[in-house]
Amino acid sequence: MMPPEREVFALKAPRWLGEVGWRTIAGAALLGGIIHICATLVVPVVGSSVAFARLSEVLPANRMVVLAPPSPGKEPLPFLPPDSLYALCRFDLSVDSLRVNVLLAHLGWALSMHTPQGDNFYVMPAQPEEHSEVSLTLGPGGDKLEFNPSPGRLGADSIIAAPSNEGLIIVRAPLKGLAWRAESEAVLRRASCSPVKR
Amino acid sequence: VFGTVALGGGLASAWYMIEAGSVLSTRSFGAWTTWTAAGRPDADPYTRAHMVRNGLMPLASTLELSFRARTDSRGGKINAGCDYAIVMESLDSAAWWSLAAFDVRGRLIPNAAERYAFTSDTVMREPDGRAIITLARDARPGNWLPIGGSSRITLILTLQDATAAAAVYEGAQMAKPLPAIERMSCR
Repeated sequence: MMPPEREVFALKAPRWLGEVGWRTIAGAALLGGIIHICATLVVPVVGSSVAFARLSEVLPANRMVVLAPPSPGKEPLPFLPPDSLYALCRFDLSVDSLRVNVLLAHLGWALSMHTPQGDNFYVMPAQPEEHSEVSLTLGPGGDKLEFNPSPGRLGADSIIAAPSNEGLIIVRAPLKGLAWRAESEAVLRRASCSPVKR
Repeated sequence: VFGTVALGGGLASAWYMIEAGSVLSTRSFGAWTTWTAAGRPDADPYTRAHMVRNGLMPLASTLELSFRARTDSRGGKINAGCDYAIVMESLDSAAWWSLAAFDVRGRLIPNAAERYAFTSDTVMREPDGRAIITLARDARPGNWLPIGGSSRITLILTLQDATAAAAVYEGAQMAKPLPAIERMSCR
């Protein structure tokens, strides 16, 4: 008895594929590359910026605000370390410069300054076994990153140039535990950012 | 067809490079991945787009590194159905560190203990200086970080360590390995 005839399946490329020339493929790849580059470059400009827009709605300009500790549904920003208190100042340098006074009381505390796109153009950490008192003036016109690994005490005449007229100053104060919360909050409440004539 | 391939390919590859990253913009150490130029004004376009699109505002990676883990050290997705142990023993050089659990969109996971993270200041240590953090849905003795209520978990390890940050940015190895994420048991 003859075995039943088996159907043979073969993968066949669509006929139109054979008609696509190499020039078409190269053109599609080139155009795809251009779209890739444009999409990548346009996101920071168009999206400018989810974080800044979100915080701008709740923060007055040129005033330091101490936020409640992050909790579910009340995170100021996604993926922000939650065991910390935050003081934020939304700066606007279009008219005046800004005087910033902050005490970085313990290790882990940090002062950072950001453009609306999230670029961190200035950062200063607390120093081991010393209180780092920071007093500086923020003005317009900078374009580079500044990092002070060992700031000591900065005089009030220290001037930081911001690359954009708007942005955020963030003071992060990690909590050592509930017992330290009142102390950390009190130190943060003394932090200030206020306009000064230039 | 020409337009579809060009548009689809261009947008899909851009989305992948911005969301997941690549060797051009990220570095991985075991289960942990970091965007090496995060927060820097001279960051590459993929890093800038990633930060803006996800609403992140990180400290510059000159000072601090933020590592993300969505899988354990064996490659399994971290989820609330399993218990995990993380031994924090190689972070002595960091001035400060924090280990926090989020859902995949960066939101805190509600829990009755109101515990969302451990830091170098708040973690309880063993006599030999190590700290063992247990991630689990139900209460565990010691450093218990609750992960119930969210099926997929993202861990963020933040290290304030300028030396390690410089090494990572320049492509060098870190002096000590990052903590492994060991899956202990699953329901």
